Amino acid sequence: MPEFLEATIDKFIFRVAADRRYSRDGVWVQECGGDGQVRLGASDYVQQRSGDAAFVHVKPAGTRLASGDEFAEMETIKATVGLVSPVAGEIVEVNKDLDLSPENVNQDPYGKGWMAVVQAAELRDCPDFRAAGHQPKVGRGLSPSDRARLLDPAAYLSAVRAQAEEEIGAS
Amino acid sequence: MSRTATYHTTVRWKGGHRGHLVMGNGPEYEFSAPSDAHGCAGVFTPEDAYVAAANTCVMMMFLWAAERFKLKLLSYECRTEGTKLVERDRTELLTRLHFRPKIRVAAGGEPSPVVEARVRRALQSAQKYSLVANSVKSEIVVDPKIVVEEC
Repeated sequence: MPEFLEATIDKFIFRVAADRRYSRDGVWVQECGGDGQVRLGASDYVQQRSGDAAFVHVKPAGTRLASGDEFAEMETIKATVGLVSPVAGEIVEVNKDLDLSPENVNQDPYGKGWMAVVQAAELRDCPDFRAAGHQPKVGRGLSPSDRARLLDPAAYLSAVRAQAEEEIGAS
Repeated sequence: MSRTATYHTTVRWKGGHRGHLVMGNGPEYEFSAPSDAHGCAGVFTPEDAYVAAANTCVMMMFLWAAERFKLKLLSYECRTEGTKLVERDRTELLTRLHFRPKIRVAAGGEPSPVVEARVRRALQSAQKYSLVANSVKSEIVVDPKIVVEEC
């Protein structure tokens, strides 16, 4: 069970799991296992803003992704939301449980609501990484450029707070 | 993403315990209190309006949810009952709204349990996103009867 950072805005509490990194769009990236595999999902903020999920469509295993490609689409009661992968690589596993239980994305966004495992290309293919004698280890799935691009939990929490407060101010 | 919208109705006294109601969306009704509360039989009442507001709103939200959840809806009917509590100080409130929707959907080639589970989730979402159901302080109870037809 991960620890969480929380932002309370108006009557809403948005949780940010402390054991992973985030794109600005609210896709979380968690290193899982060795050899550069990362797990992707939607943040609590994204799922709350999107509404109850009716269907979650994740691109199938074998799909090659460039950073910025859509890897999943949530059809919710209110909207259809595309989710963009912040890492390049190949989808190697899809959460099939979401076919019958898409509500897991809402009820457990950082656990059962995970969407895909991606073999991160940058780490696997990075010659410098290999040349330097590094061996992939558990928890080493993100390349330095991925790490630089992704937000740590505290930074993402700040981004969530800023965006939510901006929306309240604009209303 | 907070936004507001406004809705309005106008009431005018017609003498005795009767009134005339003009809805913002067009229709007009004569109204009174229920006959057990010094009102007149056969006309619109605030109690009915309250229950109807929740019942109609949940149904409209369910229709939307059925589209989003890709359900092949065949029929929907819901009797909803509001329970009034008279307090010791004689104030009154509607403590509970009990929805009993009867929903028929076509399986459309999918396994019935899968479709039924989706109907239940659509119904939960309809209750959650219903403006009126989300606004009232009455307890809301939903007892659905769901039939998935193999057609």
